[in-house]
Amino acid sequence: MKKKILLFLVLLLPFANMLLHLQSAIDPIKYIYIQTGTTAISLLIVALLLPWLKRVVNLLRYRRMVGLFVFFYAFLHFLNFFVLDAELSISFVIKQTLDKPFIYLGMISFSILTFMAVTSKKSIFRRFAKWHQLVYGAIVLVTIHASMSQKVLSIVEYFYIFIMIFFIARKLKERFGFRFFKRYFSTLVPF
Amino acid sequence: MKLGAATILSSSLIIEKLAAIENEKRDPLSFKKTSFGQNLDLNTFDQASKYNNFYEFSLKKNEPAKLAHTLKTDPWSIKISGEVENPFTVSLDEIKNSYPLEERIYRFRCVEAWAIVLPWIGFPLSYILKKAKPNSKAKYVKFTTLYDPKQFPDQSKGVFGNIPYPYVEGLRIDEAMNELTLLGVGMYGKSLPKQNGAPIRLVVPWKYGFKSIKSIVSIELVEKEPQNTWKAINPREYGFYANVNPNVDHPRWSQARERKLGSFFKQRTLMFNGYEKEVAGMYKNMDLRKFI
Ligand code: HEM
Repeated sequence: MKKKILLFLVLLLPFANMLLHLQSAIDPIKYIYIQTGTTAISLLIVALLLPWLKRVVNLLRYRRMVGLFVFFYAFLHFLNFFVLDAELSISFVIKQTLDKPFIYLGMISFSILTFMAVTSKKSIFRRFAKWHQLVYGAIVLVTIHASMSQKVLSIVEYFYIFIMIFFIARKLKERFGFRFFKRYFSTLVPF
Repeated sequence: MKLGAATILSSSLIIEKLAAIENEKRDPLSFKKTSFGQNLDLNTFDQASKYNNFYEFSLKKNEPAKLAHTLKTDPWSIKISGEVENPFTVSLDEIKNSYPLEERIYRFRCVEAWAIVLPWIGFPLSYILKKAKPNSKAKYVKFTTLYDPKQFPDQSKGVFGNIPYPYVEGLRIDEAMNELTLLGVGMYGKSLPKQNGAPIRLVVPWKYGFKSIKSIVSIELVEKEPQNTWKAINPREYGFYANVNPNVDHPRWSQARERKLGSFFKQRTLMFNGYEKEVAGMYKNMDLRKFI
C-alpha cells in the first residue's frame, strides 16, 4: 500500500513541475503541450515495458496505475487543445480534427486511451481485456503524432520510433510465432 | 590573504561565465526613433532573447540563449555580389557608420503560430542594394547565413542532422526594396544578442519568421528564385513567399489565430501580419493559396 502511494506521488511529479513553471513559461500553451505530451508518451512506453522487464523486476501489478496516469496526462494535453488552443470552440475542434492528420491521429490515440482507462475497472476488466491489445495501435499512432509535431526529427523522435518498432515486433512474434516472424520481419529486426 | 584573492578571482570568473551565458555584453547603438508601431504592446527583452528558433545552435527554443556564445561576431563582413554593377564586401563597422540607424517597432509572427512585438534597430535593405546597383537580370535576392560547424553545433550533426546548411533565404527584388524590409543590427536599444541573429539579420515583418534570416554573410542578386532552406526541406509545408496569412492553414495547424508570447490567450492573426496597406499591392495577381 505504501509503495502504491509513493508511486502515485512520483507519477504526479511531472504535473507539479509543470504547474511550478507555468507562470514563467514564455509560450504557455506550447509549454503545456510539450510537458503533457512527452510525459504521456514516456509513461506509455514505461507501461509497455513492464511485461518485458518482468524477469528483472516484477512491477506488473502497478501497470494499471501507470496506464491511468498516461490517460491523465493525455487528458490534460487534450484539455489544453480544447480550452486554451481552441478556446472552447467545438466547431474549431471538429474542423481541425477532420482536416489535419496530425490532429486526428492524436484524437484516435486519445480515444483508445480513454476507452482503456474506463474499462480498466477491476469489476469489468475481464470483459474488455482482449480489447486492451489496442494499446499497440495507440503506441503506433502516438509515435507518428509526436514525430509529426516537430519541424525536423531529432534524436528524441528516433528513440520513440525505435522503441515502437521494438514493441510491435515483439508483439507480432508472440502472437504469430517465430516462423511467421522470421518469414516477414527477420530482415527488418534481427532478433 | 592568498586564499581571499583566489576566491575573488574564481568568483569573478564565474560571474564572467554567467554573464557570457545569461546576457552577453551588448554594444549601445545610436539611432533615431520612428513612429513605426507606436501603438503596439511590446514584449519584454527576456521573452525576445530566451525563446529563439535558431536551429544552427539547437532545435529547442530555450537553448540558443545558452549556446550562442560560441558565435564570433567580431570581426564580421558581408559580401554583396551577383547581378550587380558594383559588387563589394563591407565590414559590420562600416555598415553601422554608413547608414543612419533607426528604431522600428514591428509585429513578428512565427510559422508555428506564436507572435511577438519588438523594437528592431536597423536600416532599410534597399540602401545597401542601391549602393550595389542591381542590373536588369537581378530579379531575386539570395541571403546566406554563416557556415562554420565550430561556431554552430547543429551544423556538425552528421547522420542526425536533417537540415542542409548553410541556411539560405530569398526575397523577390520588389520585396527586398520595400520600405518595411530592414537589415537589423540591434534590438531593445543595443546590438543584437547572438541568439537573435547577431551581428546582422533580415527583418521582414509581413512574412513568417523563418524568412528573416540570421547572421548573414552573403547577399547575392540572382535571376532565378533561390531555393530557401525550409522549402527545400518540406515544400508542402513551407513556401518561398511565406506571407503571414490567417486564411491559409499550415497542414498541421491553423494560422487563423496566434499565441502572443507571455499570454495564455490567443489573438487574431492579421493579413500580412497587419502590413496589408504597405505590401498587398505586390501580390495583387497571385493566388496566395498556391504561392504559400
Ligand atoms: C487528444 C488529441 C490530441 C491532440 C488534439 C493533440 C495535439 C497536439 C498539439 C497541437 C501538439 C503541439 C504541436 C506544436 O508544437 O505546435 C502536440 C504535441 C505532442 N503531442 Fe499531442 N495531441 C493529442 C493527443 C496526444 C496523445 C494521446 C499523446 C501521447 C500519449 C500526445 C503526445 C504528444 C507529444 C509527445 C507531442 C510533442 C511535444 C513536443 O513538442 O515535444 N498527443 N499534440
